[in-house]
Amino acid sequence: MDALLTALAASLSWQSVLATFFGSLVGLIFGAIPGLTYSMALAMVLPITFTMGHTPAIAMLLGTYIGGMTGGAVSAILIGVPGTPSAAATVLDGEIMGKQGKASLAIGIATIAGCIGGILSLIVMLVSVDALARVAISFGPAEITALVVFGLSTICGLAGGSLVKGLIGGVIGLMLMNIGQDPIDGVPRFTFGSTAMLQGVDLLVAMIGLFAVPHVVTVFATYWRGKEMKIDPGHVRTELPSWRLLLAQRWNFLRSAAIGTVVGAIPGTGGPIAAFLAYDQAKRWSGHPETFGKGEVSGVVAPEASNHAVTGGAMIPLIGLGIPGDPATAIILGGLLIHGIQPGPLLFMEKPDVISSIYLLFVLSYIITALIQLFGVRLFVKALRVPPHLLALGILVMCVIGSFAIRNSLFDVGVMSLVGFLAYWLIKGGIPVTPILLGLVLGPTLEREARTALIMSEGSPTVFVESYTALLFWGLALLILLSQVVTMVRERNGKASKATT
Amino acid sequence: MSSIRSTATPLRLFGSAAAAALLIAVPLGTARAEFPDKTIEMTTLFGGPAQTTSQVLADLMSKNIGQPVITVSRPGGGGAIGYTYVQSAPADGYSIVFSSNSISTVYYQGNLPFNYTALAPIAHIGMEVPVLAVRADSGWKDLKSMQAAAKASGKKLRVGVSGLGTFTHLASAALFNRLGLQVVYIPYGEGRAPAELLGGRVDAALQWSSQFAPHVKAGTINVLCMTSKDKVDLAIETVTCDSAGATGLDLTIWRGIHAPKDTPPAAIARLEASIKQAVESAEFKKAGENLGFTPLFKSAKDFGKLVADNDKEIGELMTELGINKKK
Repeated sequence: MDALLTALAASLSWQSVLATFFGSLVGLIFGAIPGLTYSMALAMVLPITFTMGHTPAIAMLLGTYIGGMTGGAVSAILIGVPGTPSAAATVLDGEIMGKQGKASLAIGIATIAGCIGGILSLIVMLVSVDALARVAISFGPAEITALVVFGLSTICGLAGGSLVKGLIGGVIGLMLMNIGQDPIDGVPRFTFGSTAMLQGVDLLVAMIGLFAVPHVVTVFATYWRGKEMKIDPGHVRTELPSWRLLLAQRWNFLRSAAIGTVVGAIPGTGGPIAAFLAYDQAKRWSGHPETFGKGEVSGVVAPEASNHAVTGGAMIPLIGLGIPGDPATAIILGGLLIHGIQPGPLLFMEKPDVISSIYLLFVLSYIITALIQLFGVRLFVKALRVPPHLLALGILVMCVIGSFAIRNSLFDVGVMSLVGFLAYWLIKGGIPVTPILLGLVLGPTLEREARTALIMSEGSPTVFVESYTALLFWGLALLILLSQVVTMVRERNGKASKATT
Repeated sequence: MSSIRSTATPLRLFGSAAAAALLIAVPLGTARAEFPDKTIEMTTLFGGPAQTTSQVLADLMSKNIGQPVITVSRPGGGGAIGYTYVQSAPADGYSIVFSSNSISTVYYQGNLPFNYTALAPIAHIGMEVPVLAVRADSGWKDLKSMQAAAKASGKKLRVGVSGLGTFTHLASAALFNRLGLQVVYIPYGEGRAPAELLGGRVDAALQWSSQFAPHVKAGTINVLCMTSKDKVDLAIETVTCDSAGATGLDLTIWRGIHAPKDTPPAAIARLEASIKQAVESAEFKKAGENLGFTPLFKSAKDFGKLVADNDKEIGELMTELGINKKK
């Protein structure tokens, strides 16, 4: 109790609140701009924390992390370009809601879903950090391979009209990620002897190309033909979600947060898988799956609740074992270490006040981030009053800056443009971009984990089916695939019988 | 050129005036202004604790050199991207790289068209000494008991390393060859060593001591030895592998600063002095303790010799392992 009170006093000091506010704001801005990520925001604020006391330092790092996760949804909804890969699933329904004039409602619900998802994950962390950390380390390369294949199976649900076109998209994504240095032996692949090509295709660079470039090209093309939509200023209302709307989503909140927390706790996975799995599940459990992809509120709630729950989930191995699961938590770990805080099992015994302040600051970050977002909504939606072709110009500039900034590499700007024009033609050909993104996100993990598993077993493929966890995920993936095939066959038969009668 | 000709007359006048002013100012400027008179950019190659160390160093250098020193991350290609960038940057002292043995490993892997001689050494900053860790419930308390148990079982040991061809792989190979043990190397990336060990998927792992520290204190992981020949202060008290049975083993990661090859000696000297002051400060020592890094300043000359010796050793080791593409 003493530890909690000391932590409470330290966490709610003006320095900590100010640090959280600053962190959240920086995170939100970095998160909202495609190409600037919360990992970059964290690396940027880290040196500022060197001279601070440890509580404000933790406050600033957590604020940045959480603000960055939340910011991703803003651009996903307003301009249809996810600010971070974790917000890619939010585009599916969020962008449509934005086009229907419900942008503020969508941002509002995304913010609240994120806040609830994050705090639910914290509660899970509070009660079961030991148990979940143990579950997390039981995931070896073979189990993660199975989980990733389960994640890939969501392509079925995302493919829309044609499963074949969805699969083509997924394979294009997987293929793109083969360029560059191979993750195991360091052998250059498809680099044609060029050092620049060793970098390969960066996920974020490709994501910007996939989502932003086709959007910009389409807007310019419509403008050229003189068919640009007139903006009706009254069309952009600021409307926040009602209690009734939120209450109706309670199961979606719980289910998505649970998926996010578990996926977040497993090192080497992360936000995008969690968001897509949650979206897919929300659609499957929904009474009206046909409304998904057409501006369905549940389609915004699920990915946002889930990717925010990842923040709490990722803290579990970080705090419980000192193991960072992704680049962002690795930077947070660096920030903790430099202040003499070594996360791990002993931290709970040696410095319970630090643990308590991490929990409190986590909640504080969510509250402050949500407040900034809800107040900011009025400002954000003003972006929609800008004529689309001017907005597209702004987006284009941001894309170039963003794709350069990720690795300070001009090569990446070229990759972004190339992937973008490829995506434009693919969309014209009816191939959806979301499965491509899923391939991009999951490809490197799939390859690294599957190959590591095979090295461990000295080449024997039975390693993939030796544990119950792996079998569970293989089973789930198979189930989704089968149910998709059954639905397709039924639809075809239905059409055929209609045609004959 | 045509664009300049087509500009309006007043602008052109202004342009030539400015050019004239520059012509006068430049020689004066170089005579007066001392290095550095603008921001120095330190390229970093990897994330994780090494990146944090570089940020602390840049921060301390900014305070004593009179200009900001900023870190810019250029990851990818096992370090090849960042080294290539700095090697082709102007040799004026404003582009430096936070380097390590990776310049040798990535060269011998065949992914870097030049080796360490294409860069000018500025200063040695410190070293990282990996340690060999095993699960506590294996019952192995020292190198000898692990060796005996592994030989008795007749099975290959599964040893976790950061990646094939990386430094931890080379150091493990040197260690286990000396012990005469059959080993499968599992590459799983930097931060996952404790998880893979505790999860029972590898029998031993060679990694930085700071990762294992909380688990050693909690009694779930035993650290058997460190790979340097001389004992250094680490987060965990342990003996050297050399004394524990792997006679002659001496492999550590060096970290330092390099610049493009033809950087003027005056700039190198100024940077060297700034780094010396930063590395020998109490703040850097403290950061080193917390991050599992042993600060140790060495002059440009000594550092250059160390890099050359180490490069030779790494080349030989990689030939022995059959992964040297430059032979």
